This record gives sequence, structure tokens and C-alpha cells, in this order.
Amino acid sequence: MNTGVGIHIEGLSKRYGVGDTAVDALREVNMRVAPGEVVGLVGPSGSGKTTLLKCLGAVIEPTGGRMTLGGEIIYDNRWKISDLRVLRRDRIGFIFQAPYLIPFLDVTDNVALLPMLAGRPNAEARARALELLKALDVAHRAKAETSELSGGEQQRVSIARALANRPPVILADEPTAPLDSERALAVMRILNQLASQYQTAIIVVTHDENIIPTFRRIYSIRDGRTVEEAGEGRLLQ
Amino acid sequence: MINLAGRDILHSGGRFLLTGLGLGLLIGVTFTMAGVYRGMVDDAKVLLNNSGADLWVVQKDTLGPYAEPSSVHDDVYRGLLGLPGVAQAANVTYLTMQVRKGSSDVRAMVVGFEPGQAGEPGYLVAGRRITRSHYEAVADVKTQFALGDRIRIRRHEYTVVGLTRRMVSSGGDPMVFVPLKDAQEVQFLKDNDAIVNERARTAANPALNRPGVPGLLDAIEASQNSNHNVNAVLVRVAEGRSPEAVARDIRRWKHLQVFTRDQMEGILIGKLIATAAKQIGMFLVILTIVSAAIVAFIIYTMTLGKIREIAVLKLIGTHNRTIASMILQQALGLGLIGFAVGKIAATLWGPAFPRYILLEPGDAVRGFVIVMVVCTLASSLAIRAALKIDPATAIGG
Amino acid sequence: MKIPSMLQRQLWFALFGVALLLTFGWVATRSGPLAPTRVTVTRVVQGEVAPALFGIGVVEAQRAYLIGPTTAARVRRVLVDVGDQVRVGQLLAEMDPVDLDERVLSARAAAARGGNAVVTAQAQERDARSRQEFAAAEARRYRDLGQKGLVSQSVVDGKLQDQQSADAQLAAAAAGLAGARRELARLDADLRAVQQQRENIRLAAPVDGLVTARDAEPGSTVIAGQSVLKLEDPASLWVTVRLDQGRSSGLQVGLPADITLRSEPHKPLPGKVVRVEPISDSVTEERIAKVGFEPLPPGLSTGEMAEVTLHLPGVRNALVVPNASIRYQGTQPGVWRRLNGRLRFAPVTLGAEGLDGNVQIVDGVTAGDEVVVYSERDLQDDSRIKVVSSLAGKPQ
Repeated sequence: MNTGVGIHIEGLSKRYGVGDTAVDALREVNMRVAPGEVVGLVGPSGSGKTTLLKCLGAVIEPTGGRMTLGGEIIYDNRWKISDLRVLRRDRIGFIFQAPYLIPFLDVTDNVALLPMLAGRPNAEARARALELLKALDVAHRAKAETSELSGGEQQRVSIARALANRPPVILADEPTAPLDSERALAVMRILNQLASQYQTAIIVVTHDENIIPTFRRIYSIRDGRTVEEAGEGRLLQ
Repeated sequence: MINLAGRDILHSGGRFLLTGLGLGLLIGVTFTMAGVYRGMVDDAKVLLNNSGADLWVVQKDTLGPYAEPSSVHDDVYRGLLGLPGVAQAANVTYLTMQVRKGSSDVRAMVVGFEPGQAGEPGYLVAGRRITRSHYEAVADVKTQFALGDRIRIRRHEYTVVGLTRRMVSSGGDPMVFVPLKDAQEVQFLKDNDAIVNERARTAANPALNRPGVPGLLDAIEASQNSNHNVNAVLVRVAEGRSPEAVARDIRRWKHLQVFTRDQMEGILIGKLIATAAKQIGMFLVILTIVSAAIVAFIIYTMTLGKIREIAVLKLIGTHNRTIASMILQQALGLGLIGFAVGKIAATLWGPAFPRYILLEPGDAVRGFVIVMVVCTLASSLAIRAALKIDPATAIGG
Repeated sequence: MKIPSMLQRQLWFALFGVALLLTFGWVATRSGPLAPTRVTVTRVVQGEVAPALFGIGVVEAQRAYLIGPTTAARVRRVLVDVGDQVRVGQLLAEMDPVDLDERVLSARAAAARGGNAVVTAQAQERDARSRQEFAAAEARRYRDLGQKGLVSQSVVDGKLQDQQSADAQLAAAAAGLAGARRELARLDADLRAVQQQRENIRLAAPVDGLVTARDAEPGSTVIAGQSVLKLEDPASLWVTVRLDQGRSSGLQVGLPADITLRSEPHKPLPGKVVRVEPISDSVTEERIAKVGFEPLPPGLSTGEMAEVTLHLPGVRNALVVPNASIRYQGTQPGVWRRLNGRLRFAPVTLGAEGLDGNVQIVDGVTAGDEVVVYSERDLQDDSRIKVVSSLAGKPQ
């Protein structure tokens, strides 16, 4: 189960390059997301939101600052975790701009893959996958090939995958980009519901006008700096 | 943990199998080339075995009778029979020429032999052995002659009374066995036009055609048209005697050269097929390189087609070695299918080749190992590329 | 290529894999060096073997004649040509007499002159005889007279001497006559000789026969011994057959023969061995036999090649196998016998062999034994074999 304080970022900086041509993508970013909370991260392109996700996702190394995930300091001016891959596998769930399902695995195995990678036996992994698919209302497609699913179904499967290892943190990068407004709101509803059900801290990077009103808190980022704002917190139905 | 390689292969379905099939045909060609070499060596060995001889006695200073022309008198064998250790000495002639049947002809090695002696085919697959002293022949099935066919060799027609198998020259030409006297005539006498021409020239020569000596011209013509040469004498050594020792005895006759079985093998394999062997060796190397390149290319392409999936897998926590193992297993799977298809194809199309193709089990095992090693090496390119994929690319796009 | 259900696809793959494995296995065991050798078998049967000897020969004339002059001469005319039948005594050709006619005349004249010489000698002899008679009578008379003392002794001696002289002259005349007679005989003989020579330029047929060659035309000069015409007795044609020494056992006069002429390969002619040559050819290692035609067909030409089969007496109740089953280990002939499922080389002693390929086995197997006839490759003891009904080739 999830414990701890979700996501806590202090003074995170990321500089690309050296000398005159250096670019500061992140400058002293501070951020906090509580377990069960869904927070929005908005900003124009080039503002550093993707860089922030990458740092949080432990795929690039920041230049300075501190990151704490689920009560564990993962970065403090240098990586504090020896195996970042395990961190990503067990502690972080990823939802991408597109579903990015593995085409040669069926729906169940796409989701079950994560527990299997974590070492769980296949039967248990598949059972958990089925549970999540049910929760996301795509269980009837459990045995289908990913290519047979509609866009919305695929997106829900990818959400199920992100939750499969019960990570304390989920990073969602423009999850509603390909969806229309109704579907987008449906996805946000599901995310909010699951976040509170599983006490997961979720950061959603977006510039989709349709869903920005659903956040209670929003971080806006510009030129590498973040500013916390209050959101409208409006969830239809 | 599910097997990612297997899932990917299943997903690609026919494409993977077809690729394996194509690779298999290439591997089959490689096996066939190796089989050609082995077949050539076997042709040489079979040629030596089938003659039933322990020693080959040929003209001095030649490497005959297969590698070089050799000519000895046909009464030499009498002297050889008198030597201790010689159980049998038989005259043989060999001549590679065109044998006609109807309007078509076949390139064959015409062998002249004495019945019951070395040089005769040891076994038949149809018909009977030659019983008449002239104008009967036993042919190898590769000539495509049937029993009862009338074939023409130079000036005479022969009836095919028996068929045999795997009786080929070192050059792969099928053999046709005829009685020795007929073969001597074939080899050393000319055709009718040439004989008539020769007679006219002799008759026009006043030194040979003297009116005061009736019968001189006839005697000269008779001597021109008779022949008493053969190409070699095949010797069988008596039980318990060493061929080397007997060969030494024979070499003391200053006008003859003697080769033992091992020496003949050395000549045939070392000289006759050496060039062909080198060529085939080069072909094998080239084909192996080509196969490696193809496997590398295919696996690399398959991997490149999965860049995004691999990035996602890496991001969500798949180990590098799992990804590398997936690629390697795919390469090995391709190699396995290719090997099986190649071996089957080579076996099935082998008999259709004009040369004898011999596929040894040892070669199959060696081939398997090489295919697996080549696939492993070929996959390294794709694995390197896969390992370089940055999981961060899954985010942001 | 997308198949709807993963399970279905897995089944297809499994099918392919199994098929591949099975094919692979089949290929590995059925072909190549691992496969069993295919053979055909037969049983040793009791039967008959019809041995025969075979050789090729040339049609020749037993008797051939070279017709030619006994001295160098020019051919004057040739009266027959190749293919003509001639009778004994028939004039075939004539040489140019050249100077022979003149020589006959000369000899005749000489003989005539010789006759004249004889007549002269006779006259001389008669003359001498008459003188001798007279001298003898005188001598008698004078001896009488001398005895009576009527004449002197010297007169008597003179008359005696006359008588002796006349005797001598008579003897001389007689001898001369004898000599002239001998001279005449010699000249007659010379005449006859030249006449005989004159006769010899007439070439006549020594026997009834067929002209086979015309070697000189009118105008050509031939020497003694050269032939102008060649004759043969067509009733004397036979085939000179050469048989391999190694395969001629049983050759003797009287063997029935089938003669197949090169010009008529489908019509063998009957014949018989009439002579076996006492001298064989040691260079070609052949024995030579003369085979006569029975009956002699018309229109044969000498020099034509023939294939001759001589039939030896058949061997009955023999153990017979096809000669394709005879194999050799070293110099020992034998057969591959299948006994109790095992393959073993059984050394045998061979007997008669027929031209059709059946060979008699004197010793080494028993009737009913199963032996290998044809095989794909050389066999070894206990080779793995697979019996099939035929390996290759249409049945003869």
C-alpha cells in the first residue's frame, strides 16, 4: 500500500549543456502532491514541463535539488537510489500522450507485464490485471489484441497498466491529448477516482482547456519556474 | 514472466516464418555448396574404391590414369603377375568422351575392363553383368540409359545390359563399362574416315607401297590399325601382404610408376579437386557472410520497428538484459527455422543437381553451430541499438 | 498477416513447428549416410544353365586364288570382272606376248635348221660308211693277197691303214649324226619351252569360282607373283572367329553355332565349328576357330564382320543365380546371403555361365537361400538393408 507524502520536490534544477550555450530548463522548482491528489501541471511548450516529468520519472538526472517519492528521498543533488529501473517499475506509473501499449501482447498481458516484471507469478499478475481492467470497465476486452480496441479503450488499458504495480506516484503526460472533451472528462473522473481509491499521487501535465477546470490545484510553469495556483476543482458528475 | 520474443514472433506471424524460409533457402544453398565439395571428395573415394585395386600401375613419370594421360603396354600385366604379393593384375582403360544414344549424347567415362578382375563395377542396380566379349555395356544410371538401349561409342554399337550406381569419374561424369578390347579400340583407333584417309596416305607413300614386295602394304596397314596399349594396370595385393612393399617391387621396373591407394587419394583430392575446393571454400565464406548480414539486417529492422515499444518497456522498468534477450532469442529463432528449412531444402533438391551432393551429419551439426553463432553475432548490432534507446523518449515525444 | 485469435495463431505455429521437426527427422533418417541400403533379393533355384562362347569374326574364303603371270609382263586383256562366276579352265586374262611370238618363230627356225643338220649328218655318215665298207673290202683283199705274197707288206699296211682311217671317219660321222640329233632335240625342247611361255600368258581359272578382285587393267605391267585377278571358291566361305582365351573352355569341333552377320543383325544363321586352329594369338590372347555355315547363304561377302555364339552343352539341375548377385571380396567370388535376418558374404565356387546372365553355383549355397541381387552400394557383413522390388531400369 501507499504511505508517505506522495511527491515532494524542492529546489529542483536542470541545466542542459555548459558555458555560454547552457540552457536552464528547470530553475529551483518546488512542488508537492499529496497521496490521493490529482494535480495539474500547465505551461507553454518549452516551459520545462516535460523536463520535470523526466526528472520525476528518473529518466534524466537533474542538476540539483531534492526529490522525494512516497516518503523516500530518491534524489538529493545526486541519485540516492542505486537502481532507477526498479524505482520506475515499482514506484512510478506512467501514462503517456498516446496509449503506447505493446502491440504483440494482448490487453491482459499488457497490464500484467508490470507485476510480472516485478517478479510476481503469471497467474497472480494476470488476476490483478483483470481486476484493474474491470475497474476501468474494459474487462470485456481482456483477451483482445490491442489493435482491436478503440482509442478510449486503449487509453483506459494504459491507465490500468500504470496502476498495475500499485505505485505511489503516477506521472501522466497529456493523457487527454487525443480525446474529445467528453472522453477527456471521463478520463479525469477515472483518474480522480482511482487516485483516491489507491491513494496515489498523480501529476497531470496538460494544456487541454477541457480538463484544466477539474484540478483543485495547479502548478503553472514558465521558463523553468513553477507557481502554485488554486484550481477550480470542477468535476462534472 | 512471459516470453517477449515468442510473443513478438507470434504477433508478426507469417512475416517471421517467411523470413525464416528465405533465410533457410540461403542456408540450404550453403549446405549444398558444402555438399558439392563433400560429393567431389566422395566421387574421388568412390572411384578408387569401386576399382577394387590396391595399386595403380601407370606410365612412368605420370600422375595417371585419372589426373594425367598414361599409356602402358597391355602385356605388362603378365610380368606383374609374376611378382610376389600380387594376387591379381588387370588391364584397364579410361577415356572421357561423348556416348551417343539416338540423336542425343552424354558425356561419360568409358572404362575398359576384364570380367572378374579389378575395374569391374562391384554391384549392379539392374540387369546383368557383361557375358559377351564384345559390344555389351554396363552403364551408370546417371547416364539415363535404360536396359536394352543401343548406344554408340565411336564406331560400334553396344547394348546396355546392366545398370549401376555411383560409378563416376572424379569429374562427376558417369561411367560406361565395356569389354577391354572394345575400349582399346575406342581409345586408340580412329573413325572410319580417318582410317580410309590413313590408308590412302600409306598407299601413296612409295617407300611403304612397294610393288616388288606384295603384302608389305597390308602388313603396314594392319600394324597401324592394331593397338596394344592400356591406360593402367590395377593390381590387387595378396592377403596379408603390404601394398607398399609390393609397390616398391614394381617401381624397380624402370618404366613404370606405381601409386598406392593413399597416394591416389592424395593426387585426386590434392590436385584434381584442389582448385574446385578452394572456390567452394570461398563461396562458403561469402555465403556465410551474406547470411550473417541478412540476419543482422532483418533483426535490426525488426528492432528498429519497435523503438517506441522498447523505450516504453525500458521506462516502465524492463531490464536491459530482458530486452537484449528478446532480440537474441528472435535471432536464434530465425536461425533455427533457417537451419531446419535449409537442411530439408538441401536434402530435397540435392538429387536434382548434376553433381553428387553429400550431406554428412557432422556437417549438419557444424552448420547448426555456425548458424547459431552467426545469429548471435548478427543480433549484436540490433542489441547495441536497442540498448542505446533512451527511455526518456517515451515521455514528451 | 493478422489472425483474429492468439490461440489460433499459436496453433498454426505449433503445427508448423511440428511439421518442420517431423520433416527434419524424416530427412535425417531416410536419406544420406544414415539411411539403410536398398536391395533386391531372389532365391537360389534349381535350373538349367545354357553356357555359350561368344566371339566376333570375319567372313573369309577357305580357298582363295591369286591369278597372275609367272614372269614380268604387261597385261593385254582381262576378260572377266569382279562378281563373275567362272568355270575351271576358262580364260580369264591374257598377258601381252611382247616378243614371245618372235621367239617362237626363232626357236622353230632353229629347230628346223637342226633338222637340216641331222639330214646332213646322215648323209655324211652314209658316205663315211660306204668308204669304210670299201676300205674294209680292200683291206681284206689285200690281206689275202699279202698272205699269198702277191703284194708287198707296205701295200697291205697301206690298205689296212685306209681301212682304219675309214673306220674312224665312219665313227666320226656317226658321232656327228648323234650330235646333230641331240642338237635337234635341244632345239625342239627350246621351242616347246618358248611355246609353253607363250601359253603361260593365258591366265585360266584353276577351279570353278567367283572373281573377287581385278587388280590390274590392260596396259599395266605386273611382276611375277603379283595378282591380276583374285578368285575364290564361294562354296568355301566360313567365319574366322576369335574367342578370348580366358573364356573359351569347351571349344571343340562340332559345336553348334549362331552366326549373326553385321549386315543382318536380326537374322542369325546356323553353323558349326569345323576347325579349331592349333595356333592361338598370344598377343591378343585369343583362340581362333573356323565356323562353317550350315547352310551357306547366298550373297555373302568376305571381310564382313559377324558375331558368333557357340552353344555348349547345357547344364541341368544346377543351382542358378543371376550373375548380378556375384560379388567379389578380393579375388574370391561369392554372394550376399540373408540368413536369419543377417547379411553375410558366402564364398562360392562358380560353374557354367550362360550368355543370358544366369550362372551356376557349384558350391557355397543351397537351393532356396535368399541372396541379394541388386544393391545401391557396396555391402558389408550385417549392413542395414531394406528390400525393395526394384531399384532402377525397365525390366529387360
